Amino acid sequence: MAEETPVKQDRTPSDDEAGRPARKQTWQRRWRERKADLREKRITQTVRLRTTISKDLQPVTGPLAKLRAKIEEHRKWTHPLIGFLLIAVAALLPYLDDWMDLPLWVSRVTSGSALARFALFALFALGLNVVVGFAGLLDLGDVAFWALGAYTAGIATGAHSFTQARISGTEEGAEPVFAMWMWGILLLALAVAVVAGVILGSPTLRLRGDYLAIVTLGFGEIIRITANNLDGITGGPRGVRNIPHPRIEAGGINVEWGTLLDVKYYWLLLTLVALWVIAIRLLDHSRIGRAWVAIREDEVAAAAMGVPIVKMKLAAFAIGACTAGVGGVVYAEQVGFISPPTFNVVQSILILSMVVIGGMGSIPGAIVGAAIVVLLPEMFRGLEDYRFFVFGLAIVLMMIFRPQGVLPSKRRKAELLGESQGEQLYDASHAGS
Amino acid sequence: MEFFSNFVDQFWPQTRNGLTLGSIYAMIALGYTMVYGVLQLINFAHSEVFMVSTFTTLFAYRDWFNVVAPASGVGLLVLLMGGLIPAMIFSAVLAVLIERFAYRPLRKRGAPRLSFLISAIGASFFIQYLFVLMDGQHSLIFFDLPNIAGPSPQTVPTVMETSTVFTVFDTPFSNKRVIVILAAALMLFVLDRFVRQTKMGRGIRAVAQDAEAASMMGVDINRVIVVTFAVGGLMAGAAGFLYILVLGVPAFWFIGFLPGIKAFTAAVLGGIGNIRGAMVGGLLLGLVEAYSVPLFGAEWTDVTAFVVLVLVLLFRPTGIMGEEVGS
Repeated sequence: MAEETPVKQDRTPSDDEAGRPARKQTWQRRWRERKADLREKRITQTVRLRTTISKDLQPVTGPLAKLRAKIEEHRKWTHPLIGFLLIAVAALLPYLDDWMDLPLWVSRVTSGSALARFALFALFALGLNVVVGFAGLLDLGDVAFWALGAYTAGIATGAHSFTQARISGTEEGAEPVFAMWMWGILLLALAVAVVAGVILGSPTLRLRGDYLAIVTLGFGEIIRITANNLDGITGGPRGVRNIPHPRIEAGGINVEWGTLLDVKYYWLLLTLVALWVIAIRLLDHSRIGRAWVAIREDEVAAAAMGVPIVKMKLAAFAIGACTAGVGGVVYAEQVGFISPPTFNVVQSILILSMVVIGGMGSIPGAIVGAAIVVLLPEMFRGLEDYRFFVFGLAIVLMMIFRPQGVLPSKRRKAELLGESQGEQLYDASHAGS
Repeated sequence: MEFFSNFVDQFWPQTRNGLTLGSIYAMIALGYTMVYGVLQLINFAHSEVFMVSTFTTLFAYRDWFNVVAPASGVGLLVLLMGGLIPAMIFSAVLAVLIERFAYRPLRKRGAPRLSFLISAIGASFFIQYLFVLMDGQHSLIFFDLPNIAGPSPQTVPTVMETSTVFTVFDTPFSNKRVIVILAAALMLFVLDRFVRQTKMGRGIRAVAQDAEAASMMGVDINRVIVVTFAVGGLMAGAAGFLYILVLGVPAFWFIGFLPGIKAFTAAVLGGIGNIRGAMVGGLLLGLVEAYSVPLFGAEWTDVTAFVVLVLVLLFRPTGIMGEEVGS
């Protein structure tokens, strides 16, 4: 362009350096550089995104890949079979110690109570994974719904009134608890958590995503404070005692869950985890799951295509809430005693770290994440003090170096590594260079 | 209406308390709002920036100055400055470090927004538990952690005797409250001038309005972001120092959490991204919280602040003064 007219040739950059003030040329040049930069960046991004996707489309080679392809081909029966085998192996883990000599650090992990704790948190992580991983909403108040579930169990079983009666010395005649109702209470807690989630979510989900994060963070703390303050309803700081263990009593069957260490809790939780995995898988492959993908990738475009954004986000949030609520009931049944300090913010962040470490949007990832966060500290007991510190660091490092997590879902990996077109912060790496 | 007469009785003292607390919230809220302005990001780790200043104050008084008894006159002035300045510096350094290690790598990659929030909450968690580990009994791989904090609250030595300076509406104003209100007013004024009248301030406003355009006009975005974090850190540091001074609470690793959420509420109340809005929102939230004491009881103040946040988001998500930053 500069060669076309002699006048413009005078204004080439080399002339500017001769000492003439050349403000205009400077920013014009910068503008051109910036545009070239942006173009180049867009190309590299596209290439990167394509390579991530095309890895999954590569031709089948090697025996392992062939086997995998075979499994995919007959997924109708192979997937349920694999799932069943996994559950069977997981269910037998507590007996591993009886069959063979395990080193101490392994047998700690395969004890019924450690595994029950793992299964409980796996359930929480599965629920939060729907919110964070599938819908792309940051929920930092999972513990609030956990607390709601636990307190629902504590109050609805009558354990609370029994505790109050014992404190005031009028336990004579006070009926301890209704153990048989536990299964109904599971549903009740589910409903309570969903209602609370909808009440909290409907004003905040309409707004910018970050608001949800801080509102839920606050909500977690508020529920704890409220439970602490409402002496009459929740027992205040003294908490609720004597929450009954669950029992099945129908016809000839009589199964009774015992103390905290009862391995049956692990199986109960494992059953719930299995149910949740199935339900979430079905959801993920349904219309709702596709709507979540659309919202995550580009909210505006999704809205334009007729995806009901708020409804879908609310659905994800409610699913996360009800999962935590159900987990809370089982937790209350197992421990038999609940009090406000249990339900602090740290728990929410721990559950979040499970989802992040395992891989956002990945169902096996959530379970593996729970295993890492719950069972690793169990193995290295001497280093227990460091675990929160390490998990905090792990969250940051994961976000920087491996945002897709340990066990990523294919789709989410492409999104997290490449740049999603929707909500994103601008890139300032070019600025001022 | 017992609680209403309570409210009338306590109106002026609670107004005083609200103003004191509100000016501290306003200072923390500035950090949230300014970072939001330039990055469109809630800096969850900001409450830890506040927390670190309380420990700096503790460390300065306990280990550098060896304060045993309250001072007066010039000695007091030295002590106040000796607590305030390190607190501000350390907080600013921490804020810049957070930006450098938790945000910048993501920014360079152009990561989705969710990653930033998660990274921020991870950084916050990490810093909190770093302070829990600093009890003189733990070590990281290469070096022993110093004995500064630890899991239990640490009492900060009192440097100043409380005395009444003046009385308005039968409400005594203590010297500490006067210092807090004056210092906060001064700092907010300086900050306002900084953002409105200096070259850097113009850069901050330009980036907040349109980062891309600003970078084309020759604004060094990375520098603006670092300065924004540093300024937010300075304010949070001063706020932490004043918080300890006026409330006399012990330094604690979890101390930043509630003031952090409340300051964020203040920032939203005033209109997030709006600097003057954050100041107004801070004072307003402080007052609301103070008035809730006679109305609902002291144990419900934290809940009140949260309810305010939800109500603001419900009815006026852009805040009282609007969201714009650049103006």
